[in-house]
Amino acid sequence: MTTLYLVLFIAALGLLWTRNMRLSIGLLALEGVLLSIMVWTSGYLSWTSALVALSTLAIKAGLIPAVLFKMVRATPTEVRQDQSLPLWAYGAAVVVTLGTVHIISLLGPSHLIQDKVAFFYSLSTVYLGMVMIVARRHLLSQIAALVSIENGLVLLGVSLAGSLPILIEFGILVDLVIAVTLLVWTGRRIHREFQTTDVVALQQLRG
Amino acid sequence: MSYSWSLMGPIAITLLATTVLRRPGSRRFKWIQALVAVNFVAVFFVIFHGIEAGSWRAIFIATTNFIALTSAWDSIYWLKEHPSIAPGRYYLWWSLFWGALIVVSLSQNLALSWLALEFSTLSSAALIVEMSDRHSLEAAWKYMVIASVGLILGLIGIVFVYASLRYQGLSWSTLDYGNLHAQYSNIAPTVRELATIFIVTGFGTKAGLVPFHTWLPDAHSEAPSPVSGLLSGILLGLSLFTVARFINAVPAVAGSVISGSELLMIFGSISVVIGSLALLVQHDLKRLLAYSSIEQVGIMAVALGVGSRVALDAALAQFVFHALIKSTLFYSAGHLTVGYGTKRIDGITDLIARSRFQSFLWAAGILALAGLPPLGLAYSEWLIISQLWIHHAYGVVLLICGGLTLTFAALTHHLIRTLWDSSHLGSEYRTSPQGAI
Repeated sequence: MTTLYLVLFIAALGLLWTRNMRLSIGLLALEGVLLSIMVWTSGYLSWTSALVALSTLAIKAGLIPAVLFKMVRATPTEVRQDQSLPLWAYGAAVVVTLGTVHIISLLGPSHLIQDKVAFFYSLSTVYLGMVMIVARRHLLSQIAALVSIENGLVLLGVSLAGSLPILIEFGILVDLVIAVTLLVWTGRRIHREFQTTDVVALQQLRG
Repeated sequence: MSYSWSLMGPIAITLLATTVLRRPGSRRFKWIQALVAVNFVAVFFVIFHGIEAGSWRAIFIATTNFIALTSAWDSIYWLKEHPSIAPGRYYLWWSLFWGALIVVSLSQNLALSWLALEFSTLSSAALIVEMSDRHSLEAAWKYMVIASVGLILGLIGIVFVYASLRYQGLSWSTLDYGNLHAQYSNIAPTVRELATIFIVTGFGTKAGLVPFHTWLPDAHSEAPSPVSGLLSGILLGLSLFTVARFINAVPAVAGSVISGSELLMIFGSISVVIGSLALLVQHDLKRLLAYSSIEQVGIMAVALGVGSRVALDAALAQFVFHALIKSTLFYSAGHLTVGYGTKRIDGITDLIARSRFQSFLWAAGILALAGLPPLGLAYSEWLIISQLWIHHAYGVVLLICGGLTLTFAALTHHLIRTLWDSSHLGSEYRTSPQGAI
């Protein structure tokens, strides 16, 4: 299981590092597959956990990557790459990852954390996603960051509580589908209106 | 009878929006208005005893339904002024937004409140996207991304709390406010503090507390005006009261470095100061109202931070008065900007000579918002300041009084300019062809 957590963390790092939108989407699909495998292999499999695993696979490894891929194909080749990651983002990534270690030591005496390795990888994935939202400039990168943060959150639930209540699991999944659909819809309109996929262009509203 | 009946209204409108209003050329907006009105009256009778007893849920539902009623009424005129907007889609998103607000009002569970607030973000963002111009697309994007990240922070706090009480085996019900209050002493102090920080900052983002407010002026000013009324009047307050419900259910450990109440006082005070300062330099009519919302939410946060019975009642009164006044002002601003063909305050002048009704409505609303006695906000703000004084929070009293003075000066200055000042070259006012104004 630890290997799965590690691969998920590496996928989050890869998402932050890569400029290639197709690779980003591939990494998101990989995260979806990993989360689904985690549910399948997490011990006793009830019909609800099987449903969660199947839905996760269908939505995170299938539907969302497909919708994002369709958007990439609709944009010209020259805007399928993001800008280079600014230097400060590397520093921020190191700081937030080390910050997670501090939180683990802070929560240690409370015995809240069931699986420290999973907790480290999950909270780091959430924080790396947040760094990505601030540092990355492509509309699709920001959507990918939101999905990755949410993936980290699911793992966070596993590391702390074993699993989350089924209503929360499904609520988050439905929310994610609607959010990604709306963001892609808005992203397409922004691309049409502003002739760019760079969020730096979104600076008209000030004051 | 169960409060869940309150959801019948949004469900009915959603059905109507996906059937009758989808037909090309359908303009049966008054059906919507009639349905919302019937829903308001019916639900009001169901929850009347709750309102009499001072139940927060009942007051939230009644206020939300009333503002939804006025929003539906204003939408009729607003849609006539904006013929490019597809009514079917508009009412679909509008009803989903209203439904999400009702669920937040009804919710007795922290996770359900989170889910409903997240859905309220998405449905209201879709309404902003419907405007389809550059500004609204920018506003909607920032709103969705920032509010979603904020709510994810809140969810981390919720997961911490759930994990601490997972031994109960209650699943979803673990996060019922009643259960949280009964079991809070079993949550480790460090976890309680961390969860509180995550929840206050996360839900505080949705409530528009400074410094997490950056999405708010953009989203509220670019949304359709009937939606701005709901966003500003209802959603901000409900998000803030969700924080307060959590803080009341899971109080801080005695002697803890920082508590939820202190965080609310700190962020609330900063919001009042920043919100009122921003009012002085605004050039856009709807942004003026949006920054005023930040200031008002700040006052509510301070009152909720005090936490005494009277302060909580005052915060509730502030929520209701603000919802009534701010929604009216947003509807009015929507028609003024269409009438004058500009959103710039210096382009909207000499209103008193051009529309008596509009000028009366605008002046009454702005003066009420400025806190002029005996209008409602003056009463609740006075109660809040007196509670701060009683609890020896003199520094906060100073900040709030300074902020309120600035707000009064800024709002009356802008009011005088819009009513009488004709020294600028104000845009020519035109009456809407549909007679909306």
